[in-house]
Amino acid sequence: MEIRKKAQAGTMQSSDIMVMVEPAETLIVEIESTVKKQFEHLIRAQIEEVLAKWGVASGRISVNDRGALDYAIEARLEAALHRSGGG
Amino acid sequence: MILPLVSTPDIAAARALIVGNELVFEDRYDELFGIFEGETLIATGARDGFVLKMLAIDAAHQGGALLGELVTAMILSARQAGHDAVFVYTKPEYITSFKALNFSLLASQERAVLMEFGRGLPHWLAANQALVRKGSNGAVVVNCNPFTAGHRYLIETAARRVDTLYVFVVREDRSIFPFAARYRLVIEGTSDLDNVVVLDTSRYIVSSATFPTYFLKKDDPVARIQMELDVALFAAHIAPFFGITRRYAWTEPCCALTAAYNATMRHLLPRFGIEFIEIERITAAASVISASRVRALMAQNDSSGLAELVPDSTRAYLASPEAEAIREELSEKHRS
Repeated sequence: MEIRKKAQAGTMQSSDIMVMVEPAETLIVEIESTVKKQFEHLIRAQIEEVLAKWGVASGRISVNDRGALDYAIEARLEAALHRSGGG
Repeated sequence: MILPLVSTPDIAAARALIVGNELVFEDRYDELFGIFEGETLIATGARDGFVLKMLAIDAAHQGGALLGELVTAMILSARQAGHDAVFVYTKPEYITSFKALNFSLLASQERAVLMEFGRGLPHWLAANQALVRKGSNGAVVVNCNPFTAGHRYLIETAARRVDTLYVFVVREDRSIFPFAARYRLVIEGTSDLDNVVVLDTSRYIVSSATFPTYFLKKDDPVARIQMELDVALFAAHIAPFFGITRRYAWTEPCCALTAAYNATMRHLLPRFGIEFIEIERITAAASVISASRVRALMAQNDSSGLAELVPDSTRAYLASPEAEAIREELSEKHRS
């Protein structure tokens, strides 16, 4: 899947994650999290897994996490990717 | 549910909530949001460009999910308007609440703090990494509306005293000369000075985020808070990155706000180990050279005195077809 335009999904509420995606030359993943110190590597792994699943090779993925669980990260990122790919 | 507030009674309710939270209600905003419980407004906040302000939550509902809901809506609205970074002015006691929403602290002062969402400052600094020079460096921040012989003198004098002089040109487009023209004239007017690096201020020095009242030229208590935050941001984040140990400005005999800004630098910068140096303005025909004097001459269609006030590069631009709309605007203002 190709990121063709800016898109967003999720909220800044506790236990949620806000995902913003936009086109870029390379693949950049930026993570801000209230639990960054402890969980950044796990959040990144989850994001990379979803990106691989959808075959995303480039784009800027910025996430603002407030302690979202894996399924929430996956759902929010997929929603943002779908919003960014179509017409 | 969060709603945009547009009707007169809704705005009045927002005003009451904002004033009740000991904040000042300002008319200047792009969107005002509110959250209701039944008929009662329990949370509100406004977006003015990329600045969030007037965030107020009813005392009985603080500490819950309302702030997250408000901030989500405002960040989305800012993004739809094309702003990636978002700033908030708030009270020092709310630093923790905004940190929990992934805002980072840019500058603080006794009564107010400035925070940013979106890592814009580290990105901006990283983008300028190639311009960083070793040594004992200086900085000037200039609007140059337009670039005059006075600016040239200030930059030349300061550049002689440091290894590298960074010239930050105000990025914000709120002056009669557009940023692109102001920036180009600074580059042209200083191209022979080898140790001068020209760059823009982005949103981080004298911008509508750090110092909104600068553009209103009004000196009031709010302006003072903003000046302190603007100077603190420069001193704590920007100066260390570029190796800046001295900031230069010229003496300000005319504009009270600029004079107050100088006073703020004189008093705050040394606390961060930065020296503040004022350079006496130069004069032509018995009064100081200033950009406002240049604009006044242009307004009167009097180009005879310009040669004394501006370098050739600026004079060529002022007479060019590109500047025609500005010449007309200035003389129109003069007539009315």
